[in-house]
Amino acid sequence: MANEWQPDFEKLVDEHQSMVFSLALRMSGDRGLAEEIAQDVFLELDRNMGKIKNPEHALFWLRRVAISRSSDALRRRRVRGLDLWVEMNEAHASCTDERPSPLGTRMEFLLTTLPEAQRAALVLRYQEDMPPEEIAATLEAPLATVKSHLQRGLKLLRAKAANHLREYIRGA
Amino acid sequence: MEPEHIDEFEKELQQVLQRRPAPPSLKRKVMARRGLEITERRHHYWVAWKRVAAGLVLAAMLGGAMEWQLQRAEDRRRGEEARRQVMTALRVTERALNEMNLRLAARNRNPAQ
Repeated sequence: MANEWQPDFEKLVDEHQSMVFSLALRMSGDRGLAEEIAQDVFLELDRNMGKIKNPEHALFWLRRVAISRSSDALRRRRVRGLDLWVEMNEAHASCTDERPSPLGTRMEFLLTTLPEAQRAALVLRYQEDMPPEEIAATLEAPLATVKSHLQRGLKLLRAKAANHLREYIRGA
Repeated sequence: MEPEHIDEFEKELQQVLQRRPAPPSLKRKVMARRGLEITERRHHYWVAWKRVAAGLVLAAMLGGAMEWQLQRAEDRRRGEEARRQVMTALRVTERALNEMNLRLAARNRNPAQ
């Protein structure tokens, strides 16, 4: 009776579009690219609907594919984080009222400057509130590696944030 | 001091990294592309079936042509065989007639025999 769940594609898009888009946005740092990645992820989900077993599996699958497709897109584009961030900021400002605080914006920018693996681990940890074990399963990486990425990423981000905060206060 | 600082920092990070709402156009675009993909997939299936059907017709035609060629070769072989037999029969008859002719000629030359 495990196959009783009937996935409804439109409902899945409604439920998870914010999560997929946010993951792609934080991984790529580019709003336009993130939207394209999110579209591709959902279309890939549509092609693989037969393999999705239950809602939890759908969520796990979407997270994994969103991170993976974002990495692929970054590899293809080979664009530097700073350039992407400028584009993202401009585009975002014109599209939504929900802008983060200036400090939050800086923090998000700093996140895009981290190595990809650390960024993925941090985004899954703090955006999706996932424990390291689940992150390891999602990224198909050893738990120790994920813990190390989280630790190093957080340390690096904290150091960068401290520097930027000093500059920010000096500037203000 | 350090763990407290990290906790505060992590809390801030958690707040900063809240999910952002997807662009309002995302779902519309996904559904539109999905519709196109479904149409394309159906078209591909249709084209694939047409190719398979065309392939089958072509294979049947080739098979028929080959069968016809084999049949033709067999008919030719049988015709040749029949011709050869007729020629052999004609040669045997010719030889018999010649022999008869020679005997008749000999009897005509020497009627006493």
